Amino acid sequence: MEQKTDMRILQVQGLEVSYGHIQALKGLDLEIMKGEIVVLVGANGAGKTTLMETILGVNKVGKGDILYKGKSILGKPADKNVRDGMFLVPEGRGVFAWMTVKDNLLLGAHHNIRQADEKMKAVFESFPVLSERRDQVAKTLSGGERQMLAIARALMSSPELIMIDEPSIGLAPIIVNDIFEIIVNLNRQGYSILLSEQNVYKALKCAHRGYVLETGNLVLSGTAEELLNNPGIREAYLGA
Amino acid sequence: MEVFIAQFINGLSLGSIYVLLVTGFNLLLLVAMIIHFSFPVTVVFSMYISWAVLNVTGNNLILGSLAGILSAIILNIATAPMFQHIMKKRGHVDINATMVISMGIGMIITDVLSHGFNHGFPIAFPDNLTGSSKGAMLNVGLISISRGQVITLVVGVVVVAGLFYLLYRTRAGRAFRAIAEDPNGARLVGLPILKTGIQSYALTGILGGMTAVLLSILLGSASPGLGDQMAHKVLAVSIIAGLGNLQGGLVIGLLLGVLEAMVQGYLSGSWSNAIAFVVMLIVILVKPKGVFGMKLG
Ligand SMILES: Nc1ncnc2c1ncn2[C@@H]1O[C@H](COP(=O)(O)OP(=O)(O)OP(=O)(O)O)[C@@H](O)[C@H]1O
Ligand SMILES: [Mg+2]
Repeated sequence: MEQKTDMRILQVQGLEVSYGHIQALKGLDLEIMKGEIVVLVGANGAGKTTLMETILGVNKVGKGDILYKGKSILGKPADKNVRDGMFLVPEGRGVFAWMTVKDNLLLGAHHNIRQADEKMKAVFESFPVLSERRDQVAKTLSGGERQMLAIARALMSSPELIMIDEPSIGLAPIIVNDIFEIIVNLNRQGYSILLSEQNVYKALKCAHRGYVLETGNLVLSGTAEELLNNPGIREAYLGA
Repeated sequence: MEVFIAQFINGLSLGSIYVLLVTGFNLLLLVAMIIHFSFPVTVVFSMYISWAVLNVTGNNLILGSLAGILSAIILNIATAPMFQHIMKKRGHVDINATMVISMGIGMIITDVLSHGFNHGFPIAFPDNLTGSSKGAMLNVGLISISRGQVITLVVGVVVVAGLFYLLYRTRAGRAFRAIAEDPNGARLVGLPILKTGIQSYALTGILGGMTAVLLSILLGSASPGLGDQMAHKVLAVSIIAGLGNLQGGLVIGLLLGVLEAMVQGYLSGSWSNAIAFVVMLIVILVKPKGVFGMKLG
């Protein structure tokens, strides 16, 4: 049966990616529906970052295809994909430490600078902390504030698909809850989200579906509930 | 006191030229990721082009200046693919290889200048450009300042201010700074790396061209060796300020100009280079990473 492609914002088909001799992704299939939160679960080195950066257009694809909004984006550079509504919140936040909060936000709006003022107003309303710190350099922000800045910067670009790579890393549990709440709220506003996490329980609790990666292979996928109840997952990731 | 004020103004004019050269050098270092220490040599090349056009057009200042600026932009963009090719092939910033290319470009230009223009003799710019004929002096009380110094200072300050405005207040400038701080991070937020790199070549070309015109006005002459001399000073200034440190370059560039002018005013003109380098040597011994700290990723 023919699936309705217009419901899928992203399709990854048989994706293989290598760094020199090391094959980081070994034939991966994945899809994200519009308005979904999909979580990528996997240990260190599983290939989560590689997958996200490849979707963004940074890595060379060995085999397979990536379709964004129904069209193949193989060979399309990252800046074009960002222009077309994709945005990555990188592992480790990737904010520019020596630039002000405001400049960091404006970088997110590089491709739609005309809407920057309007977007910034909205962002400052949702993140009052950033508004207070707007003229400080990002170096002076706390870890949680930096993560907020990285997410807010993504919003500045008017994205449709936001990929968030391990947002909870290095944050205190209470801040982690805040960040997950922000992510759920974004999804409620209509953004499609691909989230990679090692904090499997919390991530699955707020996601629609999930994929489990192991050294470049997809080993399991399903709805968040199925994965939460899966004995293998419970043992490997949830410590049950 | 009169000497002091006159030399101070003179030093600021010379200093603003150093600032322009250092900023161009730093931009290429930070954004295009090359060590182009022969950048000042390309500026002297543009002075020669400007001189040649002045000769041909019967000292038409507008055409002469335009030729200088245009040649700098063209030369800068023309050399870009060579640098970019190396960067792409190696897949990362290769400062050593770009340094060799820059050195080569510098030597070729210096040779061309000594063989192709005026039989290798120094060239002199016409009075209507430099304003050095007697009537063109400005006299304020006992202080007399040449028109050339005033023009260089005013234009220099305007260009430096414009440049820093561009860097710190515009979309392109923000992209320059982001790439300078973290090229990989800049790519992840969707900044066009290659395009921005080319823009930085174009911008430094414009800077170089304007500097060429200002230098011609201020010095009134040029020789094939001028480029190397400038290149050494610019490299020294940028290292003393802290490699890649734009604000630091601004301060140290102006200070060097003033220092040289003071030596010329109170001691001896022919010793100003040596004394400037002795001072810089001491500073670098005390602060090996530059007075304001390096800003290189
Ligand atoms: N630039 C690179 N060069 C060579 N190998 C790399 C590079 N980046 C990643 N790899 C390798 O690719 C594999 C997948 O790495 P990746 O960073 O995608 O994993 P990850 O799931 O994001 O891990 P983590 O949870 O630690 O962030 C690893 O074996 C890693 O060593
Ligand atoms: Mg990772």
